[in-house]
Amino acid sequence: MAGKKAVGHAYNIDFLNVVFAASNIFLLISIMWMIWDDYDREWKNYQRRFVQLETEVTRVGLAAAMADVDAAELARLQSEHVAAELALAAQQDQIAALEEQEEILGTQLTIIDQRQQFAKATYDVDKYTFEVAREGDDPASYADREANISAQYDAWLELGLEVERVTAERDGVRAQLADLRRGVTDLDDQIGELTSETTRLEGQLDGLAPSFVEDYLLNAPLIDFMAPTLKVRQVMTPNMLDDLNFIRVPKIDRCMTCHLAIDREGYEEYPQPFTTHPDLDVYVGGASSHPLETTGCTVCHEGMAQSVSFRDASHTPSSEEQEHVWEEEYGWEEPDVWDYPMLPSGMAEASCAKCHTEEVHVPEADVLNLAYGLYERAGCYACHKTTGFEDLRRPGPSLRKVEAKLTPEWVADWIRDPRAVKPTTWMPRIWYNSNTSSPVDAQRNEVEIDAAVAYLFASSADHEFAARSVPRGDAAEGLRLVESVGCLACHVTGDDGRLEAGPRRTFGQALQNIGSKTTDDWVFDWVRDPQHYSEDTYMPNLRLSDQEAADVAAYLMTLTGGSPRAAAATYDQAFADSVLLDHLKAVVPTAEAEAIVAGMSAEERTVELGERVILRYGCFSCHDIAGFEGARPIGTELSQEGTKLITQLDFAHVELPHTKIAWFENKLLDPSVYDQNRVLQPLQKLKMPNYGFSAEEAELLVTALMSFQREVQPAGALVPGSARNDALRIGRALVRRRNCVACHEIENDGGDYRALVDDPALAPPLLTPEGAKVQPDWLYAFLKGPIEIRPWLDVRMPTFSLEDEHWNQVLDYFGAISDSIGEFRAHTVVTSRGGAVATGEELFDLLRCQQCHVLDEIPEGQPTENLAPDLRMTPERLQADWIIDWIRDPQSIQPGTRMPAFWPDYPETFYTQFDQTAEPQIRAIRDHMLTFSGGPRPADPVVEAGS
Amino acid sequence: MDAIKEFFNFFADPRVFFMLSLSALVFVVWRRDLFTTLRVGYGAQLFLLLFFGLGLFDPNFRLIVAKPDNVPIVFLIFLLLFFTWYSLRQGVANDKRITAGQPVNEKVDEDRVWVWPDLVYIELICLILCSVFLIVWSIMLKAPLEQPANSAATPNPSKAPWYFLGLQEMLVYFDPWLAGVVLPSLIVVGLMAIPYLDTNPKGNGYYTFKERKAEITIFLFGFVVLWSSLIVLGTFLRGPNWNFFGPFEYWDIHKLEALTNVNLSEYVWLRGLGIGLPSNWFVRELFGIALVLVYVLALPVILARSAFRRYYAKLGPPRFYVGVFLFLMMLALPVKMLCRWLFNLKYIVAIPEFFFNI
Repeated sequence: MAGKKAVGHAYNIDFLNVVFAASNIFLLISIMWMIWDDYDREWKNYQRRFVQLETEVTRVGLAAAMADVDAAELARLQSEHVAAELALAAQQDQIAALEEQEEILGTQLTIIDQRQQFAKATYDVDKYTFEVAREGDDPASYADREANISAQYDAWLELGLEVERVTAERDGVRAQLADLRRGVTDLDDQIGELTSETTRLEGQLDGLAPSFVEDYLLNAPLIDFMAPTLKVRQVMTPNMLDDLNFIRVPKIDRCMTCHLAIDREGYEEYPQPFTTHPDLDVYVGGASSHPLETTGCTVCHEGMAQSVSFRDASHTPSSEEQEHVWEEEYGWEEPDVWDYPMLPSGMAEASCAKCHTEEVHVPEADVLNLAYGLYERAGCYACHKTTGFEDLRRPGPSLRKVEAKLTPEWVADWIRDPRAVKPTTWMPRIWYNSNTSSPVDAQRNEVEIDAAVAYLFASSADHEFAARSVPRGDAAEGLRLVESVGCLACHVTGDDGRLEAGPRRTFGQALQNIGSKTTDDWVFDWVRDPQHYSEDTYMPNLRLSDQEAADVAAYLMTLTGGSPRAAAATYDQAFADSVLLDHLKAVVPTAEAEAIVAGMSAEERTVELGERVILRYGCFSCHDIAGFEGARPIGTELSQEGTKLITQLDFAHVELPHTKIAWFENKLLDPSVYDQNRVLQPLQKLKMPNYGFSAEEAELLVTALMSFQREVQPAGALVPGSARNDALRIGRALVRRRNCVACHEIENDGGDYRALVDDPALAPPLLTPEGAKVQPDWLYAFLKGPIEIRPWLDVRMPTFSLEDEHWNQVLDYFGAISDSIGEFRAHTVVTSRGGAVATGEELFDLLRCQQCHVLDEIPEGQPTENLAPDLRMTPERLQADWIIDWIRDPQSIQPGTRMPAFWPDYPETFYTQFDQTAEPQIRAIRDHMLTFSGGPRPADPVVEAGS
Repeated sequence: MDAIKEFFNFFADPRVFFMLSLSALVFVVWRRDLFTTLRVGYGAQLFLLLFFGLGLFDPNFRLIVAKPDNVPIVFLIFLLLFFTWYSLRQGVANDKRITAGQPVNEKVDEDRVWVWPDLVYIELICLILCSVFLIVWSIMLKAPLEQPANSAATPNPSKAPWYFLGLQEMLVYFDPWLAGVVLPSLIVVGLMAIPYLDTNPKGNGYYTFKERKAEITIFLFGFVVLWSSLIVLGTFLRGPNWNFFGPFEYWDIHKLEALTNVNLSEYVWLRGLGIGLPSNWFVRELFGIALVLVYVLALPVILARSAFRRYYAKLGPPRFYVGVFLFLMMLALPVKMLCRWLFNLKYIVAIPEFFFNI
């Protein structure tokens, strides 16, 4: 080829032609590849597949709808229709004439209408020009033009009249036509009504049927920008924001590009991405409180909203199994380009807290509520400051008078490994964890344990038991009491696991092995009046008599056992001193530390070390300990842990998926795990104690952690602030923090104690309607000093020692539930006993109310589950309006109640009084009840002053 | 295999890496006959190809090299080597012709070449092939987008755009005002000054080495060793916390380096004289200031009278002093690097009172 190089040419042109051709082919191929690469998206395939699925589902729906249609009726209508058509055909001439007339009139109307529009437009323009021209000039010189303008106006009005006339004429013709056709159109309507559902579905199927233009042409590469049927679907949510660090922008969620049936019923059984949302009533559904259009998806689920690829949307698998499937099917990788990858499906409720800020109980969010329950029970907030969990009582008991309750030997065994002594306890293990279990550590552990115990006993105050003589208790009777008066609502005695027992039944300390822990005298003193020993305890007073308290104590002392972990090492004083020196050197120079140690007796050294140890491990965060009144909690603040960036977490030498959730879970399962393989001095080691969390507990706590978020969402997204919402939020927290919900069901949650009672009628009452039901004054007095409303119950309402502020929150909460908060209401008083009230009494007797309800005396011959409260309390206790609602339909207020519905066909009635009208009958009974008096009543709450 | 990786990791140490590139420069200039043979040229490209090709089997290496951001720098290594080799090869060939009294290659084929079709045609073909290359590249490697920027969490390592990595490397050795302001300005000013400093007409329109030994060597030192190789080093070998990592080493964020640097004043007053640092900053930094003044002011004069006497005569005082000043500034980087590596020297002049450090 070189020979072909002509004079003046640097290259062989023939060869260049070949290169040119080849490079053009490459360019063509690469451009086609580029177009294909741009065209070929995974979401398009999902949309294509969904069309098939939708067709299938619609067909099934159509078949069902067709089966629903009354075939005989349809056939009849259709045959009538044929007859009507025939009748109409007979009048064909007349109809044709009228139709022709209608057409002519229609044409006329169009022409006149257009002329009128032109006239108006010209008039408007001329008028404007005239106004502008005349401005500032002498009006007289414009008289001609003014006349012209008003002539135009008149012409326009005239045309308007013409339009009206022709319209009326045409409508007259149309009415005649409609009259003639009425027989047929009426039947059309009837048939349409009968087959509306099938017609709708058929139309839908037609739309889904394959079509060359819609399926191929409009979606073809390069021209699919015009009107494609496969397109990215999205919702923009102005009130849900993405925080891009320098700016907050409305979310644009494109999830529904693939999750095509997320808001449509009927796809529950199909696999992802075509599944219906599992709870359309609460989320996504148009009628739910979180509709798709305004809430979107990623504000709850997280992930990258605008991505339409499986990988970039930052899907997070819920299990390792799913992870492997995803890796194979979708090329899933650990998300690393979005700071907030999707939450695993079980944790989505963590996001509720973004808008339901500082709510300890979010209705419907069962997982989150349980997670918060565990978070409080485990006492996480005590060491880790957390917004929404501030100023709570310390989760552990007070240790100020520990000497009266425990022995040093028991305490040492206990803190060495609490769960070995009481398997259900929330007390964590501080020593002998994965970073402190070597033989060298063991020696140090024992020194620190002994020192901590020594400090507790050295600082313990004296306690004087309230009763000098303890009656002899009967353990069998004690067992009966414990099982019936309500102890088990907050305490477990058996070997239930923590999660099994739940946060409510582990509200109080587990009573396992309590007989090996303390003395008969102390237990008696405690159950008789818990506040006598510990003023700020949450344990309420069950008002046990001395004998009952002694029985309970006798029973509890029979609960012995537990297998405490033995001390794993011994040490000498020199080693103990070196440990103290270590602790001191962390705060003062070495020489000073040595001087301090040298200046102390052996005993003083132990106590000094105890103080240092308690300070280091933060025992005072959970327990009230003398000498640590002002000490600060030792943990990291967790208020925004859910939005913490992963770069702020140290994975150290631990091999883990690089995600926040994995880090948290691992930390909870073994809090010392990140010390693994590190060379550390004793005081450099991680000190978070080990709670022995199960995998489920860890997952729930991670859910709680992930819910602690930086505030990003705008006010418009949050639960609106109102007195009622505040009362609900505060009340929901309070009834959980005082464990009211252990016994009472409130707002469809709680009432776990019912499971421990044989008959639901003998369980603590449902309190959801309490605000509408009882008078606030009465309820306040009752809560301050409970009386027996149903004396036949074994379970007792205890006396709680709440401040008035908190009782008011409870009353406000009940008021908020029934939306009766803050209303001033006159008491309904009945003074006369004649007239309607007398008829009420008649009905009262007729309906035999007294058969179940107490009226001074407990009715005889009734099984206890049928008995009902003393009606003499009515005027003071119940809300007059509520009584009427209750008598009319008790089941709607308290499902399952044994109160019969006497007016099942309300407003119809069986009874003859008041001309057989139900409303006055019920009112009369109510009025009769309001004449009662003399029932039991709680004492008036009083404060003694001036002493 | 691990031994081979360790071997390469060893060479990635900044000291070894820099010394190696410096010796490579010496070799290239000194044994340019050998370097410009086809065998060495192809051999070097083949070696690089094998190194990157086989290296890709190592996950740590792959993570860094195949990162879409870094792929162009891999190309850069191949191209840099090729063009250095090619231009020197042409120069060496011409040098031989000049010595033999023949005209240079560029003059031999000096017949007229048609713009159309020759030049336009090959330009068009180049354009098409470059388009193909860019299209395929953009399909194969997605744009390396990351999460939204966050002022509370800067990336670690935080790297400048690749063309500034040489400057960023200087920050390790110099105070920001020097490495970020003075030296870059001098680079720009120096580049602009070249036509006025270098008035040697030889080498115009043809390749040669012999006729422009000093110029080409200085260029190769400044561009290849100081600029380009520092870009390569900054791209592939600087990891989290700007620590050094071998090409086969995992970028462990916890890696530590024992760095305790000492100022010149501390060497003099504390270690040398055994007395405390003077409280007056001027007295304290007297030696450093003197050293810097000697380097900047006296050294050019000394050089003019000794080693560079011929250049002084040839260029005349203004051009000579400006040129030598720029040259010394360029050398300041390797000098400071050596001081750091050999003596842990932090600053020659350290006046934190005025935020002034050299």
